[in-house]
Amino acid sequence: MRRVAVVGLGVTKFGKHERTCAELFAEAAVAALADADLRPRQVEGVYVGNVVGEAGERQLHLGPQVTSALGIPAVAATRFETACASSHAAFRHALFEIGSGAADVLLVGGAERVLTMPTERSTEVFAYASDAVFEQPAGLTFPGVFALIARAHMTKHGTTEEQMAHVAVKNHRHGTLNPKAQFQKEITLEQVMRSARVADPLKLYDCCPFSDGAAAVVLASEKVARRTRKPVWVLGSAQAGDSMCLHDKPDLSRAVATERAALAAYRQAGLGPQDVDVVELHDCFTIAEIVATEGLGLCEPGAGGIAAEKGETSLGGRIPVNVSGGLKAKGHPIGATGAAQVAEIATQLRGEAARRQVEGAEIGLTHTLGGNTATVLVSLFGRTPR
Amino acid sequence: LSGSVAAAPGGALTTNEFFAGVRDGRLTVQRCTACGALAVPPKLVCPGCEGQHFTQATLSGDGEIASYTVIRVPPSRLAPEAPYVVAVVRMVEGVSLLGRLTGLPVEAARVGAPVRFVAPPAEVDPPVILFRPR
Repeated sequence: MRRVAVVGLGVTKFGKHERTCAELFAEAAVAALADADLRPRQVEGVYVGNVVGEAGERQLHLGPQVTSALGIPAVAATRFETACASSHAAFRHALFEIGSGAADVLLVGGAERVLTMPTERSTEVFAYASDAVFEQPAGLTFPGVFALIARAHMTKHGTTEEQMAHVAVKNHRHGTLNPKAQFQKEITLEQVMRSARVADPLKLYDCCPFSDGAAAVVLASEKVARRTRKPVWVLGSAQAGDSMCLHDKPDLSRAVATERAALAAYRQAGLGPQDVDVVELHDCFTIAEIVATEGLGLCEPGAGGIAAEKGETSLGGRIPVNVSGGLKAKGHPIGATGAAQVAEIATQLRGEAARRQVEGAEIGLTHTLGGNTATVLVSLFGRTPR
Repeated sequence: LSGSVAAAPGGALTTNEFFAGVRDGRLTVQRCTACGALAVPPKLVCPGCEGQHFTQATLSGDGEIASYTVIRVPPSRLAPEAPYVVAVVRMVEGVSLLGRLTGLPVEAARVGAPVRFVAPPAEVDPPVILFRPR
């Protein structure tokens, strides 16, 4: 496969927006193209992650809406949906298209509007990403999915609610360093522990917010990338799956799709977890970060809660995780999340992350989880190609 | 040509058949004729051995709670029922099923607690797998 690099990135502020997904995506895309010093007409294809377009703004077929807004309506544009991993799947698709030689410049990202719906409605719509036959009728919600995982992890490994709360406190602290974050305010362990219960043992501050927003990155072949300011090279990218229904997963305390995707991505890159300097991973709930740090090999199985408690995953710690604030504080416009993680890692590897910079970061990793942990993507990035 | 012609693949349980059983107070799953593994539908191919021939098996209905949560922020259509407990139950036969826990206060659920399947009331549509303490 040909070498591929991230050559431009753009992210809107996350939070409440009054503009459409297409407008938000176009804002991120214009910024990403300007960052790459490329013109819209140099884009050969667009892949856009979007999950709840039908429910959020009665919009299917987001692709051409986006290219129309960018003044390039003739360009092929496709919407991707793998639940919360949608724009990471879009990214991987574009990677292979450039890697194969079929294209040199592609625009990838995602956009979501969720805050058009009241919480009970968005809770219902998000649950559509769990099984409609077995899980939705039983009243399982997404916080409920991760609460079942949390209880299993607590039972097997002795993980505590306080350890989960440490993840929230850390990611909120990191969020104060990110001007694009939805929440830029520190919270205390006590605030997390006293917050309203959502799905026991998860409380409000264990959960990421509902968010609107968009993110875009420009991917390019080596010959284009070499002419850009600061290319960040894609070293590996893998997607893995697991059973759709929770009842078919033999051990809820593990995310086996994360383990599978990580193994494949590390192998592609010729790297291991010990080589990674900075990680953006899918902390839709605090327990999700704990399970992911284990599945990615950053901690021993069962030690994710302890790592958070000891500060190992904080900025300045052994392996900084979610220095952007993560989904927890930066926000989680679901279809945009994977691309936003890539944008953060590219910013880190360029050394342009200002107050949240991980000093000397050479290798970065993004991890995005879709739905009931049934889809996971892991990608690895480097300052230099290999 | 020699050898016997294999029977057409079949016998996989549909989800409609499964939930018709749930309504009647019965948990019916499928058994792979090649490897004997039990599976909750829909599985047209055995995840263990790729077998495509199945017979049906009825579970005892007994199991224990593998994990549970108290849902306090429900989807809009279930708002009147909250808070309620959703549990993953490991059945004694080895397969697991997700359902709602009934017949005890929401605070009383525990991992490892023995439970038994009960049919949902006829008016619950779509039907929901219910478990009670045993």
